[in-house]
Amino acid sequence: MAAERRAAVTWNGDLMSGSGTIDEVGSGAFGPLDVSWPARSEEASGGKTSPEELIAAAHASCFSMALSGGLAKAGNAPERLQTSAAVTFVPGTGITKIALTVRGTVPGLDADAFREAAEDAKKNCPVSQALAGVPEITLDAQLA
Amino acid sequence: MSRIVREATVAWRGSLSRGSGVASAGTGAFELPIDLPSRIGETVDRTSPEELLAAAHAGCYATSLAGEIARAGGKVETLDVRCTVTMDEVEGKGHLIVSSELDVAGRAEGIDEAGFENAVHAADDGCSFSALIRASASVSVRAHLQAS
Repeated sequence: MAAERRAAVTWNGDLMSGSGTIDEVGSGAFGPLDVSWPARSEEASGGKTSPEELIAAAHASCFSMALSGGLAKAGNAPERLQTSAAVTFVPGTGITKIALTVRGTVPGLDADAFREAAEDAKKNCPVSQALAGVPEITLDAQLA
Repeated sequence: MSRIVREATVAWRGSLSRGSGVASAGTGAFELPIDLPSRIGETVDRTSPEELLAAAHAGCYATSLAGEIARAGGKVETLDVRCTVTMDEVEGKGHLIVSSELDVAGRAEGIDEAGFENAVHAADDGCSFSALIRASASVSVRAHLQAS
């Protein structure tokens, strides 16, 4: 069954001095969230999110679910997975790198098996596959 | 050229089907619960990776279009961008993101229909996320210029 997920953004004014709002998402889980070009392309975000930060959240959550599912399928359900995704954006070029870091608490599993399961999740989760065109996706997976 | 790094973290507890997680933005802009049922079934006030991608794509495209309209000499009043991301089970490949559809209503001065149409295409080319996911999913843009 196909799952559709929606979001709506309103933008006011030009790129440099204007700003936008992620007004609503289909689930109602968040919004409104402010976005702007300076918040996206400068070091200081001023507490505003950006497409790259949302992609980081999408990738970290997709990876965590895939890893949790994979571990459980192999008989080692995790107690806790702490994942971060850092997306590097170069204005004018695009997304050049995503660095995934995961620390897992998984009873009865050794470090190598955890790394293997994590590599599998990185390769197969739907967001990883959608972002396969990113030049560099790295993974640092260790037991906590 | 500046390199900007944006980070988000997820703390997941428990199994896939019964566990849940929280996704937190590095900027502090959001902290959101996630779980599997809201990803593949009914959404109950919980977001999902695909919904976050829909928000990312709508945001990426909106900024790109604002830039293109200005480059064409127009002045943006408002752009309403809606994005729908679809994940489906593909035989032999499991779950894949199969499409992202953008729906745009623009209000701008100093640009005609043809100029707007050009900006709509250029914005798709210029939105880095459109290019990325086009490699594995279909991306479509429907756009119209509203009288301002």
